[in-house]
Amino acid sequence: MKVTLARHGGLAAAVHLRRPPTVVDTDALPESAAAELAELVAAASTGAAGHEGPGPGRARDAMSYTVTVEEGGRSTELTQSDTTMSPEFAALLSWLEKHSAQQ
Amino acid sequence: MTRTRHVNCIIPPHLLDKLLHSDDSDVRKAALDTLLTTTRLRGERSVRATFAGAAAAGNGRRTVFDCRQGRFLPFAVLVRTEEGAESGDSSVNRAFDGLGTTRDFYQKVFQRNSLDGLGMRLDGYVHFGVGYNNAFWDGRQMVFGDGDGRMFTDFTASIDVIAHELTHGVTEFTAGLAYHHQSGALNESISDVFGTLVKQWSANETAETADWLIGADVFTPGIEADALRSLKAPGTAYDSPLLGKDPQPDHMSRFVNLPNTEAGDYGGVHINSGIPNKAFYLTAVGIGGFAWQAPGLIWYESLKASSMETKFQDFADTTYRKAEELFGAGSAEQLAVLAAWQGVGIQISGVPAGVARARSLAASRDGGVGRDDGLAALSKQVGALSAQLRELNEDLTALKAMR
Ligand SMILES: [Zn+2]
Repeated sequence: MKVTLARHGGLAAAVHLRRPPTVVDTDALPESAAAELAELVAAASTGAAGHEGPGPGRARDAMSYTVTVEEGGRSTELTQSDTTMSPEFAALLSWLEKHSAQQ
Repeated sequence: MTRTRHVNCIIPPHLLDKLLHSDDSDVRKAALDTLLTTTRLRGERSVRATFAGAAAAGNGRRTVFDCRQGRFLPFAVLVRTEEGAESGDSSVNRAFDGLGTTRDFYQKVFQRNSLDGLGMRLDGYVHFGVGYNNAFWDGRQMVFGDGDGRMFTDFTASIDVIAHELTHGVTEFTAGLAYHHQSGALNESISDVFGTLVKQWSANETAETADWLIGADVFTPGIEADALRSLKAPGTAYDSPLLGKDPQPDHMSRFVNLPNTEAGDYGGVHINSGIPNKAFYLTAVGIGGFAWQAPGLIWYESLKASSMETKFQDFADTTYRKAEELFGAGSAEQLAVLAAWQGVGIQISGVPAGVARARSLAASRDGGVGRDDGLAALSKQVGALSAQLRELNEDLTALKAMR
């Protein structure tokens, strides 16, 4: 399973526009970490965001995040933002951010 | 997740309101504590946070909350109010002071009572998330991250960033500029303009001496970058291997077309804001002196006269009209506005390009639109008026002689 995190928007949107996404391949992870990530992905896919529909809503300069999960030739995308994300998505995001900070 | 501000409570709402709005902070606190211990809501920080904020209504009263690295504002802890002492946490104090400076700026310069003009309270949330590289306005309050310490540092560090976010509130309560494409870039530009004006006002800097940078203090010292953006020279705020090059255009000929998606920054709202940003800078140096005075007033009045779908051209025309209403037709201020928009490739509607060029050339003699040119124009007008008065007087005298 390959998990990609792309960050969008925010006060420094112009900077994020050019930054490469964070990519995590579970094949390269220890078994326990891979299992943990798979669990977080599964939970985030079912956790409903309190989304106001497409667009920024009333928020300005909030960031949004697109997590792309590729597995067995299938690809699914999840996009949520600072102001609307579900706790499950937040948990996945924290894990990915922590992982990318350690790189 | 959607936060809810509605609270179920057994106390009649009017009594609750009275207690929570008491002038005595001890009464408010006691009422709050009683409510929390006598209802099933006890221990819910979200409730406490909501009430504590509600108690501080009117005249832009400030409240700062600590997210303690969490991502959900209802779980944040109240850490500073107007009545309370300074915090031991410098982020808390910087946010508190920044909210105050911005509030005072709008009050003293434009006689605007807080963001909505009605004394709306100002709530700030610090330490949002872990190493969060941003600050934002959530539609009701402002939120600051600590930065990851590698690229970015604490986002409470730049007063112009705080004022930028709060100005999004002012825009929502006035023009309501839609957050995509040109109206969105204008929305971003308004926040940069008033963000930088708050900084210049608090430091007593003139247009000539100010640095015109947004977020000069949010990068870590190791990062080769002046700031997030430059109003004076869009496209030059940074150029480094890690960040790339600042992509802001400074002229319509370099307008960047991006899709209206999250990944496309809603049509490049943080990119194309460089164009109106530069127009404001040119207006400010054209007029000269303190930029929050005539230039700021023209922009503020134009913001109030704009609407959701206002684009660059509409806004440029409005600033030209407002400059005339405020300072007179052909005034130095109006000519500076004309020349500024022309400098970024926008011709004011109804002013033929030839006339605009001749006028702005005349106006920019001796480097920039000077006060002297305005005075010369004014004395010419007074001269013409005096001649008319003299003629009128002579006519009157002649009429009297005939009777
Ligand atoms: Zn903004």
